[in-house]
Formats: sequence, structure tokens, C-alpha cells
Amino acid sequence: MSNIIEFKNVNKEFKLSLKEKGVWGAIKGLFKRKHKIIKALQDVSFNIEEGDIVGYIGPNGAGKSTTIKIMSGILNPTSGQCQVNGFTPWKERKKYVKNIGVVFGQRSQLWWDVPVRDSFELLKDIYKIPNEEFEETYKLLNNALKIDELLDRPLRQLSLGQKMKCELAGALLHRPKILFLDEPTIGLDAVTKLAVREFVKYINKVWKTTIILTTHDMNDIDALTNKVILIGKGQILYNGSFDYLKNKYGNEKTINVEFAKEYRKVQLQGYQVVSHEKNVAIFKNLPQTIFHTQEFLQQISKKYEIIDFSVNSLSVDEILAKLYKEYEL
Amino acid sequence: MKSYLGIFKMQFKSELQYRGKAISGVATQFFWGLLKIYLYLAFMSTATVTGFTISQMLSYIWLGQAFFAVSYINLPKNSAKEIVQGDVCYKFVKPLNLYNQWYFEYFGEKLASTILRCFPLIIIATIMPASIALQAPAGTIYFLLFFVSLIISLFLSVAISMLAVYLTLKTLMPKGALGIVNVVTGLLGGSYIPLPFMPQSVQNVLNYLPFRYISDLPFRIYSGSLDIKTSLIQIGLSLAWLLLLVLIGKLVMHSALKKTIVQGG
Repeated sequence: MSNIIEFKNVNKEFKLSLKEKGVWGAIKGLFKRKHKIIKALQDVSFNIEEGDIVGYIGPNGAGKSTTIKIMSGILNPTSGQCQVNGFTPWKERKKYVKNIGVVFGQRSQLWWDVPVRDSFELLKDIYKIPNEEFEETYKLLNNALKIDELLDRPLRQLSLGQKMKCELAGALLHRPKILFLDEPTIGLDAVTKLAVREFVKYINKVWKTTIILTTHDMNDIDALTNKVILIGKGQILYNGSFDYLKNKYGNEKTINVEFAKEYRKVQLQGYQVVSHEKNVAIFKNLPQTIFHTQEFLQQISKKYEIIDFSVNSLSVDEILAKLYKEYEL
Repeated sequence: MKSYLGIFKMQFKSELQYRGKAISGVATQFFWGLLKIYLYLAFMSTATVTGFTISQMLSYIWLGQAFFAVSYINLPKNSAKEIVQGDVCYKFVKPLNLYNQWYFEYFGEKLASTILRCFPLIIIATIMPASIALQAPAGTIYFLLFFVSLIISLFLSVAISMLAVYLTLKTLMPKGALGIVNVVTGLLGGSYIPLPFMPQSVQNVLNYLPFRYISDLPFRIYSGSLDIKTSLIQIGLSLAWLLLLVLIGKLVMHSALKKTIVQGG
């Protein structure tokens, strides 16, 4: 597979004018302003292969949206090179954007006051989609998203979930080669989230669309892809498989054990007691211990009589929180 | 071109839905019209204004009120939110020219709000008592020229609004940007005080600025206060201003958009 997106040493700086506190500060600001340079992206390089789904993750303010905006031709970087689908996005914007679709989870591209159908018709004109192709694409999108009954209603009357379905369809009517999703599941309920994930997977499968997605919901990543790029404070911190991250940071387990009777003190080698009350104790493996069920059971049953036990892994979100902490984000 | 016409139609349709807004607009324009007419009637009964009769004044005021939507410079309805909160992103990711997207969008909005407001007001103004009613045009040819000039006004007005969009992009303060543009166009264009009431030396300057073409010129042509030759020359000038302002607008907006910082994450 060839690279469809190449980022090389991309930097983006913003100039912010600093506002001083209070009325006097505001008056001073009228005459003299101090500026501060914010480095939103520092030396960012990565490649994305055609047909991949890539999760672009990082805490708020890390530079995710800035990267997406550079990739989609909205912003131009301060320095560095970027090739997407053979174009430099901000230089040949009009030609380039024909082949991309963008959904910003918190914004809307469809027209607010008119039925969704009219918006789709206009998008059809804007992207010069032939009738037949349009019908075919719409049928496919409708099969996956079930939006037929929403089409005659103005956008403003739709719920957030219904709106997101229409936005997704709208961004894909022209069958873009690359789809950028900036927090597509933000604010959606569980059922709609699942539907959106299924849909993204489906599109990637049938059209081989390259999909770049930013999200704060790690279940999105878990469900969609194993390839992630982690960004923090404007720098790429990790680029690789999500499973590796999970294994590295997710080996911490908590084990709840119920004993047959109340022991005064419970102790196991390689484990730490988190809490102990009556006949229930909660253990945690020490960082150097890799949890192994059989070994754990043998060790514990030698000393104590046990009735029940359960093992809990860290949730993906907790893993990420740990990761951010380690990188001091 | 088809996509720009589509954008125009979309905004036209959207704006037609706001009938309540139009009705209240018509009422406001009607009462302001009455007020202005009585004010100027009182003024003109003691002073003579060269080349501007009472019946010409009546047409001037009523048409000004009926086509207030043409001469009043506003921002496209969504643009303030788009720019300040960052929804403008979606304009960038369409394979279309940015200036044109805004221009056609606003043209649709402006045309719809003009159509909704002008007909009721013209009807009301015509059936007013004869002494204060809207007068008939000076002649068929004057009426045709008025119509042509009005259409150009519409385009010109949108082009001036685009400069307000540019100022908003620069300052991120829609109200401030609009304030500047409104005071300039209203004062220099004759919306506040009819230009014939201004001193001749001031008129000589204002006649060559673009602002009068969106409020003063069509109404003067209608009432015959300009002869046909002058009208034609002025229409030519207004076309020239239209081209120039669109060109300037495109240039400054593209330079501003290159430096855009999208607001709101």
C-alpha cells in the first residue's frame, strides 16, 4: 500500500495578543499589545497508508484539530511539507477538496432552515455528481444509516444523533477518497455511537476510504482500528498499534477475592492489597508482576480458602489517562 | 456556476420562511417613512431645494423605505456566527471560491428579504392620501432605468457587505465591523439625509462615491430628478464601482483568509 498522507516536519505557530487584567489593562491594550507565539504543532511527521483507519488521539489542546485543518486545506502551516492524495492541501485547495470529506462533530455543513434533501441536492451540484452515481451512492448510504425518513425535515428539527447521520451522509455523497472525522461521536447516545462506528467501518470496507478520526472516546478507537497516532503539546508522541499501548499501560489488574472466612491479614508475593474488609480483599499486581491466573490462584489457595474471585482490567480510558500522565500532558 | 446559483437559491428559500420578521420590517419602514415625509414637508415649506420638488421627495422617501433592504448594509445572516465560532471551516472544504460562496449566499438572502418587504410597502405608500402618497414614475423610460439601477444597487450593496465580512474576519467583531460600514454608507449614501438636501460642494464629492448608488440613484431616476443622459452616465459609473468593489473584496478577503485562525477548537 502506498502512503496517501505524508506529513514532514510540519510546524504551526499562532500569534496571540495577550490581554492584561482589569480595566487599566484593557486601556493599555488599546495602545500597546504584547504578543505571544503559541506553537500548536512542532515538527510533526507521519505517514498514513491508503485504505487505513487511523485514530488521532491526544488530550484537549494537543493539536489534533489543527492537524486535521491543515490536512483538509483550511489552515496553512508555518513551515514543513504536507502531501495528501498528491496535493499540497492549502495550495491547490479547490482541486484537492473534491476528493475529501470532512465532518466536524460540533459543527454543521448542512443548511439549517431547509429540508435535508435540499442540502443534499445542493451538495450534488457543488461536487458535480452525475444523477446515476448520486442515486447509487445515496442508496448505499441510506442502507447503512437509515436516513430516508429524515430527508423531508429541516435540519433544525432533527436530534443530535439524526443530524450526525445526515452530516455523515452529506460528507460522503461525492465518495471522497479520504474522510476526516473530527470527534464524530461527541454528544451522541450509546446506540447512535454504535451506529456511527458500524457505518465508518462499512464505508472503509466498501469504498476503501482512508479515514482519519480524532476522538476522546477510546471505545471508538477500540472498535474501529488498531492504528493510532498520539499527539501531545503539539508533538507526535507515539505512532503505532493501539494494542501495544494497551499492553504496555494496561497490564495493571485489580483482583477481588472473597474468602471463606475472615482473615486478619492477607498477603501475597508480587501483589499489593488495596483494601481489605471482612472476608473480601482487593489486590493489585505490582508493576513488575505480570498477572497470571493460575499462578495467582495457586499462590492464594495455598494460604487461604477462597470462595470467589474476579479480575478487572483497566478500561481503555483509564489506560489513556495513565498514558497522558506519563507523558505529562 | 450551477453550484453558486444553488447556494443563492438555498439562501433565498431559507429567508422566505421568515415572514414575521418581514412584516415587522414593513411596519417599521412605514412609520419611519411617514415621519421623514412630515419632517421634510415642514422643512420644504419654508426653504426651497434646487432641483428637488415635493413630489420627487415623496417618491424618494417611499422608495427608500420600500427598498430599505437593498440600501441597508448588513452581514450575511450566518457569517458572524461562522466567523466568530469557526463554522467557516466548511466553506474551505468545498471545491468553490470562498468570496463567491459568501456573495451568492448573501445575494439570495438580500433578494428574498427585499421582495418580502418592497411589495407591501409600495402598495401601502400608493394608497396613502394624495398629498403624501408615492408618486407615479416620471415616465416609462425613467421607470425602466430605475429598475436597471435598482438591480445594480442590489449587487453593489452585496459587494459592500462583503467588505464588512472582511472586516469581521480581521477583527472578529461583527458588530464593530458593521457599525463602521453602516455609518459610512448611510451618511454618504443618502439614507440618513437625502443627498439633494446636502450642500452642492458635498454633493459633488458624494456623487462619485459608490455609496449613493445603493440608495440615492435609483430613486432619483424614478422621480425624474435626473435627466436620461445623466441617469445613463450614473448607471455606467455604478457598474464600474460594482466591478471595482467586487475586485477589491476578492483581493482583501483572500489575503485575510490566508491568515485565518479558525476560532473555537
